[in-house]
Amino acid sequence: MAKREERWALLFVAAPIVGFLLFMAWPIVFAFLTSLTTWNGSKGFAGMMKRFCGFDNYIKLFQDGKFWQTLCTTVIYLIGIPIGMVLGLLFAMGMNRKIPGVRVLRTMYYVPVISSLVAVSILWAWVYNYDYGLLNVIIKALTGRHGPNWLGDEALIKVSMIIFMVWKGLGTSIILYLAGLQNIPRNYYEAAMVDGANRWQQFRAITVPLLSPVTFYILITSMIGGFQVFVEVQVMTSNGGIGYSAATIVYYLYQKAFESFQLGYASAIAVILAVIIFIITLINFKVQSKWVKTMD
Amino acid sequence: MKKKLVSALMAATMVTGLLAGCGSSETTEAPAQTETATEEKTEEKVGAEIEVKAEAVENVQVEGDFADADLTVFIFAQEHEKAVYQTLIDKFTESTGAKVTFEVTTSDEYGQKLLAYKAADDMPDIFYVGPEAVASNVDDDYLLPLDDYMDTAVVDNLWGSVGNAYRYDGKVAGSGSGSLYCLPKDFSTFAFAYNKDLFDAAGLEYPDPENPYTWEEFVEVCEKLTIDKDGDGEVDQWGVANALQWALDSFIYTNGGHFLNEDYTKVVIDGQEEFVDALQFFADLTCKYHVTPTVEQDTALGGYQRWLDGQIGFYACGTWDVGAFMDKNTFPYQWGLCGWPTGKTGVSMTRNGSVGFAVSKDTEYPEAAVALITMLSTDLEGQRVLSGETTGASLQIPNIMDYAKGDFKDRIADGTIPYGDNVDVIFNYIEGTDKYQGIFVETNYTYNADWWNEFLSGGYEYVLTGEKTAAEYCAEVQPAMQAALDAANEMKAAAQ
Repeated sequence: MAKREERWALLFVAAPIVGFLLFMAWPIVFAFLTSLTTWNGSKGFAGMMKRFCGFDNYIKLFQDGKFWQTLCTTVIYLIGIPIGMVLGLLFAMGMNRKIPGVRVLRTMYYVPVISSLVAVSILWAWVYNYDYGLLNVIIKALTGRHGPNWLGDEALIKVSMIIFMVWKGLGTSIILYLAGLQNIPRNYYEAAMVDGANRWQQFRAITVPLLSPVTFYILITSMIGGFQVFVEVQVMTSNGGIGYSAATIVYYLYQKAFESFQLGYASAIAVILAVIIFIITLINFKVQSKWVKTMD
Repeated sequence: MKKKLVSALMAATMVTGLLAGCGSSETTEAPAQTETATEEKTEEKVGAEIEVKAEAVENVQVEGDFADADLTVFIFAQEHEKAVYQTLIDKFTESTGAKVTFEVTTSDEYGQKLLAYKAADDMPDIFYVGPEAVASNVDDDYLLPLDDYMDTAVVDNLWGSVGNAYRYDGKVAGSGSGSLYCLPKDFSTFAFAYNKDLFDAAGLEYPDPENPYTWEEFVEVCEKLTIDKDGDGEVDQWGVANALQWALDSFIYTNGGHFLNEDYTKVVIDGQEEFVDALQFFADLTCKYHVTPTVEQDTALGGYQRWLDGQIGFYACGTWDVGAFMDKNTFPYQWGLCGWPTGKTGVSMTRNGSVGFAVSKDTEYPEAAVALITMLSTDLEGQRVLSGETTGASLQIPNIMDYAKGDFKDRIADGTIPYGDNVDVIFNYIEGTDKYQGIFVETNYTYNADWWNEFLSGGYEYVLTGEKTAAEYCAEVQPAMQAALDAANEMKAAAQ
């Protein structure tokens, strides 16, 4: 009986393991193998192995100006993460009160998160439109002057993308912080008030430390997502923006793989990107013990 | 209470921001993408309005018994083209007994899906290949040489240059030597069009199709067409709108310039007077003569929309655009064709284009596959439909030369096929004359177009705004272009 149960148990365990091996482990190994070739997609696996080139792709990659440019742009976009976290916390605190219609507002803030990324990217491309965009219409109405070319300037296009990404991700931060705030027992604040702590001191000594697990979670997931930005660039810019200024590392990878059909080179980019994400995540986990507090 | 109010205000501000983006707009496309997909957009607009009747292919005759054949055809097509080809395929199936699976995708997704077929090593029997991809596909052993499977008389009656574009001798594709690897689905050219109504309003004489403008004459006319119509201090009608991606070629080649050396191994734009002068003139139209929308205005609304809106005097017109431009709901203006303005050579130049039907080298049914692509490419009744004789909306010049020069032109003359004035401009580009020449641009002769993409992503916009000179940009971007070309040549060597 016990053996039969074990067999069933093994069968249930086997399903995710087989899934992992087939859809995670093998693609990772395949991508690494591909990165050691000059494969252009032809003649299947056999065709790929005929084009073995060792670590040539990696050597070329480190000498490739566009690789560094797009990596740099990707890192610049990460500026949006702390901005989004601060705003998310502020809005969450604002909505953690009994104000009329707060449930409706919470729902509405979450709408961008569940909306199609392609759809909202198209919408924001219009918001940023030089002549007809909402932003420049408002600027003209307020100042009498024509607003800037948001998507046509090397610096402004990065600012525009960051604003969009913050807007798109704000709902997630708000919901997570809201859940974190509601999880903090009221008596902590009451005890602090009895001891004479003002609002700012309560915020610094109670709210921020006890929200640190949420902050850590948002930081980790946002950084991983931040290194994988692609759709916004593809939809909102033409060929990566002026002078390739808005292009991210994944956008470059996509162009190499599916426009130039340099699958080996694109896989090398993917491997390097995975290593970067792994190292950053590892560092985050290593240093979390120094600033992430729990209520235990 | 005060804090609650602040919280509510902040929340309301965000909600307003959220809803503000939902305002209506006249078109549904992202503005940054408006200039890049002219061809696809045009076909989408026209395609929905065309009906194909089964009687149109009643007279089609197909010989052969291919009852054992089981073919897969994979192409990209708009709805109207799909309907035409489906009708022809049905006829083929009925006449020969062959089984045909017809898979159609969009042009955007075609490359990726074909890549998936290649990676799986499971190619369809028939698929599209452009002239620029013939060499790489032959080197990778994907294409069946057609010479031994078909009647050469069929090829003789196709346009000469498009036949050459699909020949490859193992060294350079498109040079006219070597085996034939595709039959053309179409042969297009990128002519120049002018809005007659704007010429009338400005009191200008129409361009002479026999004598294309020189650059100087062109600027003069464009300056007269560039006006502030409503007197608000801002220009709202321009002489011309160009997108560098597809318009620059006409200026470079007419000035005797070129991107690459003769054997397509070196990028030679840095310091090349003909090239640099042409690029500078192209930019000067925007930043010196101000006869085009500015770079900022162009990102706000692309030239194609402005042309359709009657804001532009001259605009490019591909052979696929004619159906849309003749549709009064899309373009309510009178228009005609003329030549691109001429530089040092005195010859008006433009780019030709094509997509071809190829047969997989691994197909089990080469005879049946070649018979089918011969029908799709050269069947007279199918060409009558695609060129507009039976639908009233022309989407391509017929592949069959005799028909194109005979009945097709006659039907334009008698109004059966609606067309802009001066259709001979298109024939001049296709056939080549002492004043007109259409060519396959240099990306067709290299292993891939990465070197050209480097030119496009290097920040050429700064030349258009006047922040850089053409000479500075060419010097700056040439090393990256050369590196991309070297990489392409290495890929070619590895494939061979």
